[in-house]
Amino acid sequence: MSSQPKRYHAAWLLFELVSFIKNAFFFILFLFILRADTYTGWILWAKVLFIIFAGWTILNIILKWFFQTYQIKNRTIILREGVYVKNQRVVPIERIQNHQTHTNFLHRMLKLTSLTLETGSSDSEASVTFSVITHEEARHILHLIEEKEVMESEAEEGKQKSGTTVYFRSTKKDTSKAALTSFSFLAIFPILAAVYFQLDDFFNLDKSTENIFHYFSEHLWLLFPLFILAMILSAGIGYIQTVIKYGNYTISADAERIYIRKGVGNTSTFSIQKNKVQAIKINQSLIKRLLNMVEVKMVSAGGTGDEKLETNALYPFMAKHDAYELINLLLPAYHIEESMKRLPQKVLYLKLLAPYYGTIAVGIGLFMFQREWLWITGVIFLLGILSRILDYFFTSYLRHGEFIQTRKGGFSNETFLTRRQRIEQIEIKHSWLQRKFNVASLQFSNRSKPVLISELDDLPKEDAAEFYTWYGSRT
Amino acid sequence: MYLQIPEPSRPISAKIVDIWRWTNTIGHSVTLLILGVLLYFDHHNNWVSWIDNVLYILIGLFIISAVYSIFIEPSILQKSWRYEISEEFVQLKHGRFNQYHTLIPMTKVEYVTTDQGPFLRKHELFNLKIGTTTSSHNIPALPKEEALMLRSQIARYAKVKDTDPEGEDVE
Repeated sequence: MSSQPKRYHAAWLLFELVSFIKNAFFFILFLFILRADTYTGWILWAKVLFIIFAGWTILNIILKWFFQTYQIKNRTIILREGVYVKNQRVVPIERIQNHQTHTNFLHRMLKLTSLTLETGSSDSEASVTFSVITHEEARHILHLIEEKEVMESEAEEGKQKSGTTVYFRSTKKDTSKAALTSFSFLAIFPILAAVYFQLDDFFNLDKSTENIFHYFSEHLWLLFPLFILAMILSAGIGYIQTVIKYGNYTISADAERIYIRKGVGNTSTFSIQKNKVQAIKINQSLIKRLLNMVEVKMVSAGGTGDEKLETNALYPFMAKHDAYELINLLLPAYHIEESMKRLPQKVLYLKLLAPYYGTIAVGIGLFMFQREWLWITGVIFLLGILSRILDYFFTSYLRHGEFIQTRKGGFSNETFLTRRQRIEQIEIKHSWLQRKFNVASLQFSNRSKPVLISELDDLPKEDAAEFYTWYGSRT
Repeated sequence: MYLQIPEPSRPISAKIVDIWRWTNTIGHSVTLLILGVLLYFDHHNNWVSWIDNVLYILIGLFIISAVYSIFIEPSILQKSWRYEISEEFVQLKHGRFNQYHTLIPMTKVEYVTTDQGPFLRKHELFNLKIGTTTSSHNIPALPKEEALMLRSQIARYAKVKDTDPEGEDVE
């Protein structure tokens, strides 16, 4: 399978232009709309400079597009780019582990999409992005990638390539729950306050009234219908926002891959190979904890590093029980245990005893520069103690079979689960003070972007030693 | 032994103690010199008073750290350094007050290099750097033959993963 070097879709120019205008929006607004009639002094200079800069940028976009090509040849993707300095990248298709598509509003209007292919490596050139591509071409490339898996799976004693099964599809109820949990409806309160004070101006209420409570009680009747209206409005806005982001959430899987699809208007898809999942992270914020919901994330080696997409999460508003069941179905290689081991009580004393470097640094700094603010040191000290106590109470861990599971956090918590084969290295550290308490710190890393380092401080030394021998006794 | 774990046994060259003493002396002298120059300008040009205090504190701290890292640390660190390389694992241990034990499976080793600076070259010693996908580790000061032998040995052991695709598809 090979093809000639191809340029990106011509709409790439439009996308770059739109993004340039978006970035320069405030300059344009200021120079050419607010100061449209001014042609003197520095404004004139700024206008001239801006026009030169814009011309240069647009020329660059065109040149960049002209010299940028991709080619698929002998099961590799060859990317060439660079106007002055030529650059060529060769990415073997075999290396591609995950892929994502993202369709924003502009894509949708032009019937286009964007495609990101992630390789396992963790450096800056780990992923290949086609920011503007036709659906047909994207399908063609994805087909090439999946072709390899069919071949692989056939090699594995003719394992049947079963069709994809849908495991989860978000309902209206899920979306309402999501809207409620994300608190988007509360965004109205600042707006409400603004509206109230606007009204205040409009009715020309007595400004000189000193007593704000009196002031409120007189106009309470006004506030009430407004409040109802605002709540309805904001719940509506919150719901629409949630639908755009999380609506039509579908999780499906076949023997090799997990597919996630989400969003209305802005559609994103994400696909990951099951055996490339490095670890599982389960996050619970305080509100999710109260509602018994969890967010499950699959950690993979590649990662675009783009937090905005965040499609590696299974539905972020799933009931705990359902989420655990889904993990067992999708990733039979992972198993989550609910009850975990806590740190022994003496560790609390150790944690409280360890030096307070932050407090000392703040103390010295304030002593030298702002002695009247020295009390802040006390606040920092109290916060330090509080965070150590929380840390002690919410840290737990477990090693069972092939797995290591850790949990950390205070008001919100994070559970982390990985397998022995997925751990890249471990390190045990113990200081003089830790030795007095018979504990040690464990650190292990997983491949991801950025590298994922998990730390478990002040484990009993027997457990630390056991982790070490367990990791060292691979077959 | 504090932890009941198999510990590595091979030491690094004792010559590194003097080398570390020299390099630390140079490093600290240069820093102290820069601080001294700053102090001179401070007195000469009457900078703001707090710069004074900061400089004195820094100089004090650097003198303490110089005494530690020139006279005390090198021999402790050299004596505590141990490594072990087997067909399956790289095992490292170092430190006296803060002790570190590191365990890296051969299948996760991505590259191995040796390097030497002018001081190491004078004593025919090499650093051995072992890199994984997540970090890189340095075994300091190995005699030439040993370093080169280990380099090719690790390369050979780590290559096992070529037959086992990516060393990570094993479920």
